Formats: sequence, structure tokens, C-alpha cells
Amino acid sequence: MAKGLDPNMDFPFCHDVGKYERITKIGQGTFGEVFKARCRKTDRHVALKKVIMENEKEGFPITALREIKILQLLKHDNIVDLIEICRTKPTQYNRSKGSIYLVFEFCAHDLAGLLSNATVKFTLGEIKKTMLQLLEGLFYIHRNKILHRDMKAANILITKNGVLKLADFGLARAFSYTKTGQANRYTNRVVTLWYRPPELLLGDRDYGPPIDLWGAGCIMTEMWTRSPIMQGHTEQRLTLISQLCGSIMPEVWPGVEKYELFTKMELPKGQKRRVKERLKAYVRDQYALDLIDKLLTLDPKHRIDSDDALNHDFFWTEPLPCDLTNMLSQHKTSMFEYLAPPRKPTTTAGHHHRHPNAGATKQQPTDPAYDRIF
Amino acid sequence: MAGNFWQSSHCKQWILTKEFLLRERNGDLQVMGEVDYQKLMMFFANVIQSIGEHLKLRQQVIATATVFFKRFYSKHSLRSCDPLLLAPTCIFLASKVEEYGVISNSRLISVVSAVIKNKYSYAFPSEFNYRIHHVWECEFYLLELMDCCLVIYHPYRPLVQYVNDLGLADNLLPIAWRIVNDSYRTDVNLLYPPFQIALACLHMACVVQNQEAVTYQWFADLNVEMDKIIEITNTILKLYDLWKGFDEKGEIGGLLKKMPKASLSQPRDGKGESSSGRSSASITDQ
Repeated sequence: MAKGLDPNMDFPFCHDVGKYERITKIGQGTFGEVFKARCRKTDRHVALKKVIMENEKEGFPITALREIKILQLLKHDNIVDLIEICRTKPTQYNRSKGSIYLVFEFCAHDLAGLLSNATVKFTLGEIKKTMLQLLEGLFYIHRNKILHRDMKAANILITKNGVLKLADFGLARAFSYTKTGQANRYTNRVVTLWYRPPELLLGDRDYGPPIDLWGAGCIMTEMWTRSPIMQGHTEQRLTLISQLCGSIMPEVWPGVEKYELFTKMELPKGQKRRVKERLKAYVRDQYALDLIDKLLTLDPKHRIDSDDALNHDFFWTEPLPCDLTNMLSQHKTSMFEYLAPPRKPTTTAGHHHRHPNAGATKQQPTDPAYDRIF
Repeated sequence: MAGNFWQSSHCKQWILTKEFLLRERNGDLQVMGEVDYQKLMMFFANVIQSIGEHLKLRQQVIATATVFFKRFYSKHSLRSCDPLLLAPTCIFLASKVEEYGVISNSRLISVVSAVIKNKYSYAFPSEFNYRIHHVWECEFYLLELMDCCLVIYHPYRPLVQYVNDLGLADNLLPIAWRIVNDSYRTDVNLLYPPFQIALACLHMACVVQNQEAVTYQWFADLNVEMDKIIEITNTILKLYDLWKGFDEKGEIGGLLKKMPKASLSQPRDGKGESSSGRSSASITDQ
């Protein structure tokens, strides 16, 4: 106990995390490990996320503060529910360093886990329901002036009743539209690489909600391809995007020349936009293709927003969005990316064979520059 | 982050009652008396303000830090934590919470040391001798005490909205703003929603500026509990009375001497190790 603090101080305000019994590790979040646990009193299952404090040079991590602040603000069916915050008591056993745990409702699956399991099959109606809920969640957080900044299949949770929840707000932050033309200066080192939109790859620091909608487009495509599209290293990223979405140039993206990196980098020229053409082998619904095309728009100013996306014909034509409960009831075990075998091409041999529906295609991409799907 | 005050932890968990405050502070008040307690709190609000200004923080960050400070002592005795350690800790946490960035460890300690030495040597004759790890440890207790309720709503935003609605911003805003700043030397931000504090301060500014007649109808049309506005006004007026008679330099030494202090004894064995604490062996990091 440090000087200045009463060694006999009580901790009556946050519950001790001992009220939960830890069952198994289910994930690794941006700032801590995640465990499945059970409330000793009520038997309710929860997810415990430990805030990592070791080697912290800024006291309680600002990312954890943001996640707590943001989750206390956001209450929505499609946002993961923060039940409470627990702690361990600082004792001589942990060198007087107590820990803080975020206690979430337990969700049975994450989307990456489901998609990597070949026995899980989504109908078109079920894909629509998934995307509908994802976009409802994005609409809600953006209306509350929050950017998620880490959209990816592993951060999309699905309860056993088929309710989708956006999770892991460890990179999220509040944003504002500046009044005086002064640009925001947010960090551009956000979003897992494969899901990172072109404006971030070009170094944009004054970005907004469209960054999350690009991620939604990647995830939507993944519903059919079953693995992340456009996997590649930093240097490859803009090349891969250009090969799918066409060359990045002022004609399709007015103002793109303002990015320093745009002039500095060697970007592929003369590439045609081939989103629909490339994806139609996997996605055989024209409305789905059209929505993906609009989500994967290069220019963030012209990328579809969540409101317009929710009004897209995709959601309003037969087959209509269909509840996931029945489909999920066939699967008794939890599926999480963390527990699934890695989804790397080298380790999961021939995913196309595992998904005859998605993989029975006439045009198999063969260009070696295309990692995986592209 | 826009948010909604009515659904916030501030509204649901942190609008306290006078009875609650009196009960929780009972131990301290028996030692110090209510007037001296308030003087001490005023003094530390000033310390927080000075440190904040030297760190060039926005007023909103300083206001949040001040509320954190007051929240801590609304549920803990002064004995449980030295206010001289809690003050910089509140600033350190508030700067992160308000997205003003992390104040670097060395800068925080050097600025606090300088302010204590140059401005408050009459109160603290010896050097500021807390280090950053003390602040980190204290931060954990602060977070725990607040149950991680971090978002604080302040009267500033509704105030600006009201003066604009009245169309008298130039005339009223500077004075009302200063009264809001002063209100942090009282308990009103623990007791009332920020919009009520804003209205009370605005009304006081109208009186000061002789705008009562012009604004009479605007206030009459409000659908608010006027008795609350009057309570807030009275509390702030009492503060100004107290302030007039408070010789900070002369009195603070005596007040600090009287203040209940953290005991230096060893922790009581097993205290706080409730049954749930012991059964948590599987999860506590050791």
C-alpha cells in the first residue's frame, strides 16, 4: 500500500471478480484476455475481459477507459452488453496491483468462428439477417458519434438465439464533425489490416463512419467466401484493393491527391473496377453484389452509409431476412475464432472444397498475387 | 460523444442527496466541523484549478477532475486518501477520460511539484513527494470508488444553449460561466443535474446584470422545479459569504493539521477478505 492511502480502505463499490467462476479462455481482445465464466450465485454465463495493467506506463490504459465509457453509453440489442465492472483486491500476492475486469453478457459464437466451420451453413435469408443486424448496430453507434475502428468477423458476436452484437470497443472512440474546417488528427493505425479501408492506408487522420462501413463490406463478402478477402501485407494492401475496386485516382475519388502517400506510393494504374465481376462467382444474388459494391466504394465520401444500406433492396426482396435461431440450434458447441484452427490458406487446406456451394465456381482466381480469395 | 444525461451513470448513480453526504462525512465532520470541511474542499478545488491551468488543460477537464475529487470524498473519509495525492490523480484520470490525452508521467509530477512549491508553500512547507506509481495506485482506488462511472455532464453546455436561446449571450455568458466555475467549490454538482445548475447560475447572472425584467417571462415559461433552482442559488450565495470571510493563507495550516489523515499502521490481517474474496482464488492474479 502506497503512502497517502489508508491500508485499511474498503472496496465496497465494484464487486470482486470472485463472484464469477472462470471456465475457459475464449479470446484475446485488444487490451486483454477474455474468459467464459459463470456467476456462482445466478449460474448466468458471462464473458470476463481482463484489463491488462502490466508494464502500463500511462496508468489505467486509455483504451480501456474508452471502452468502458463507450459501453456505458451504448445500450442497444446489437451492441454487446456490459453488465458490470469487477476487480481483484490489491494484495501482497499481486504486488498491490489490483485488476479490473469488464463483465459482458456471454455470446455463444463469433462470426469468424462460425464462418471457419464448414458445417455451419447460412441461407441467403440468414445472411440478410446477419447483415441487417450488423448495420443496425453501426447505425446506432454512428448516430451516437462513436467509431468502432476494429470491424472484423472476430469482433462480431452472435448469441445462441441469433442476435448479433458488435463487440470489442477497445479501439473505438468518439468523433466529431469539425466546424471550422480544421481537420481532426486521429491515429490512422487502427483497424485490423485486412479490413482496413483505403483512406486509412493512405494515411488519413480525419476519417469518420465510412471506415466502419468498408469493414462491413469486407465482412458481408466473407459471408459467402468464408474467409477474409484481400489478405495481404501492408505494402500489398492498396494493390489488392486496386485490383478489386479499380485504380485509385482523382477521377473516381476527388481529392485523393491531397494524401501525401498517394503521390509517394506506386499505385497500380489502369485497373478497372471489378467488384461485381470478381465476386459473382461467390455471391450469386444481384442485390447482395450491388450492396457489397456500394460498401466497397473507394471514396469514403461516396461510400454508402448505414442508413442507406439498411434501405437497400437487398433487405427488402425475397427471400426476406430470416432468423438464425433454427440454424444455430443445430450447433451445440461454441465457435470462436480464438478456438478455431487458423484460417490461413496454408493451414486450412482447400477451403473451396469444404464449401461446395460457395466454391463451385467457374472462375477460380489463379493469379498468385491474389492471396486467398483475390 | 453526445450521450444522454438521463440514461447516464451520472444521472442514475451519481445524483446524491444531502442526507447521504452528511451521513458519509459524519466521521470527518465530527473532527472538523462543516464549515472547516467546506473550506478545505474549496482549497483543494483551487489546487486542482492551479495544477490544471499550469498543465494548460481545458476548463472541462479541470471541472471533471474536481467532480472526481468530490465523488471520492463523498463515499470515503479524508483519512482514506491524502487529498494532496488524490488531486493530481483526478487530473491525470480526467485528462484521459476527456480525451485530452495522457499527461506524461514526468510532466505531471514536475508541474505538481512546481505548483505546490511556488504557489502553495504556505500550506505545504515540505516538497511534494509523491511519485507516479503512487498516482497509478491511487487511480485504481478512484476508479473502483466511482464504479468506473467516468462520463461527467457539466453545466457549461446547457448554459451556452440557454443564453443563446435568450439571445443575451454577450451580456450574460461571461458572468454566468464564472458562477458555474465557482459552483464547483460547493456540493451542487453532486446533488443536482447540470441543467439545473446552469439555470441557477444563469438566473444569478441576470440579477447581477439587471436583466431580470427582460428574462422574467423566459424563466416563467420553463417547466422546471423552481425550488431546486432556488436551493442551488442559496448554496452558491452561501459559498460567496464563506469565501469573503476565508483567509486561506492564514487558516489553511490549521485546517490541514485538523484534517483526518491516513494512518500509518499495517493493514489489518484478513480485513476485507470476505468469503467471496477467498473463494476467488481461481481468478485473482497472483
